[in-house]
Amino acid sequence: MKITKLLFVTKFEQLGFDAVRSLLNLRDAALEHVVFVNVIERDRIAMRRGTGYHKEEEIRLRETANIRFIDWAETLFEEGMEVGVYIVVGSMVPEVISATKKEQADLIVIGRSHKGVLEQLYSGSDVTELLHRASTPVLVYKQLSETAIALEEPFERPLLATDWTPASLRAVEYLKGLKGVVHEIHLVHVASEKDLKGSSAMKIQKTRKETRKKLDKICDEFEAAGIKARAHVYIGDPNEEIEKAAKECQATMIVLGSSAKTAWVERWLGSTPREIAEESIYPTLIIPPEKSEP
Amino acid sequence: MSKKVLVVDDDPDVRLFSVTVLEENGYTPLEAENGEEGLKMIKAQKPDLVLLDILMPRQSGIRLYRELKTSKSLKDINVIVLSGVAKKTFLRSQKALTEFGGAEVPEPEIYLEKPVEPEELAEVIKKVLG
Repeated sequence: MKITKLLFVTKFEQLGFDAVRSLLNLRDAALEHVVFVNVIERDRIAMRRGTGYHKEEEIRLRETANIRFIDWAETLFEEGMEVGVYIVVGSMVPEVISATKKEQADLIVIGRSHKGVLEQLYSGSDVTELLHRASTPVLVYKQLSETAIALEEPFERPLLATDWTPASLRAVEYLKGLKGVVHEIHLVHVASEKDLKGSSAMKIQKTRKETRKKLDKICDEFEAAGIKARAHVYIGDPNEEIEKAAKECQATMIVLGSSAKTAWVERWLGSTPREIAEESIYPTLIIPPEKSEP
Repeated sequence: MSKKVLVVDDDPDVRLFSVTVLEENGYTPLEAENGEEGLKMIKAQKPDLVLLDILMPRQSGIRLYRELKTSKSLKDINVIVLSGVAKKTFLRSQKALTEFGGAEVPEPEIYLEKPVEPEELAEVIKKVLG
């Protein structure tokens, strides 16, 4: 799996050109095409009582986006890159999925959702919906100024959290294609306390050893692909431990396979990938299992 | 028979504007909404002139221009670039692509930065097509 084309979805207030720049080292792997996407939500220009459809507002929003994208595109064109643009009126997720299909993009980059807790509970966030519907990996980018960590290049030192699901194993393949961009991978498995079967120290250590052995096997695959990798075993709540591991390893990004739960179950009961994507201070790359677009 | 002019632009308003100018001046307009579609139409229709936007989905005008000007059978088709992207950027990008190992391509016949007046567009089309 190579990233030759990425789709950069922005509403401008969350993600700017600094975020695009921080991803340009992907050119050392295969990146050659960036497609900018701005979705003007229908409710910003929709019919309102007494005022009708806001055509002038649509034109203003379109042209504002166009001016920003031309400026960004000029910089990338001058570096020999290929650039495309979509400025569309509609609903965020269907438009992003549609553009991803048309462009056959290898990666979607999007900012975190800014909906409130109640709104997310009832209607779900754009990020959650996108993670469910996209068959393309999604990088939930965190604005660098939001965090205390200075991330120059998110792909430099990713922390890959695996739970052995097909999606997290697919993430291994995805990262193996990024030699030259990824300097070091930290591979983590978080075992829950109930997984530590048996009360004796010997049995607990045996579980750790077995997990470590599985992780080392994946590390060997990375090393064979020319990428340095280190294995770590953590115990406890996955969300907290993955965040802790990212800090301890000085990771620049968290990578996870996406949840297999249905959207409805996930919204009410939660899922580790969705919660980390929404709440972690780190940019979070979510790799879906192989499936066809709905 | 009137000369065929292909308008390659993703903005339907710009296509409508260009098509209107072309029809009013006796040309036969053709339309494509991105570089990929544009290239297919160029191969199929062999237009006399291409009005080319730069920033588009699927394939940019920069790549389409390069494909045209490096193709033996298509390189003589006239191109007028009509874009919001600056000419300086267009030339620098072509230079960068040449440095990455591509062939050197000539400058387009005319480079117009959007927006243009209908009279100005009609005049340059007439100048290029004679």
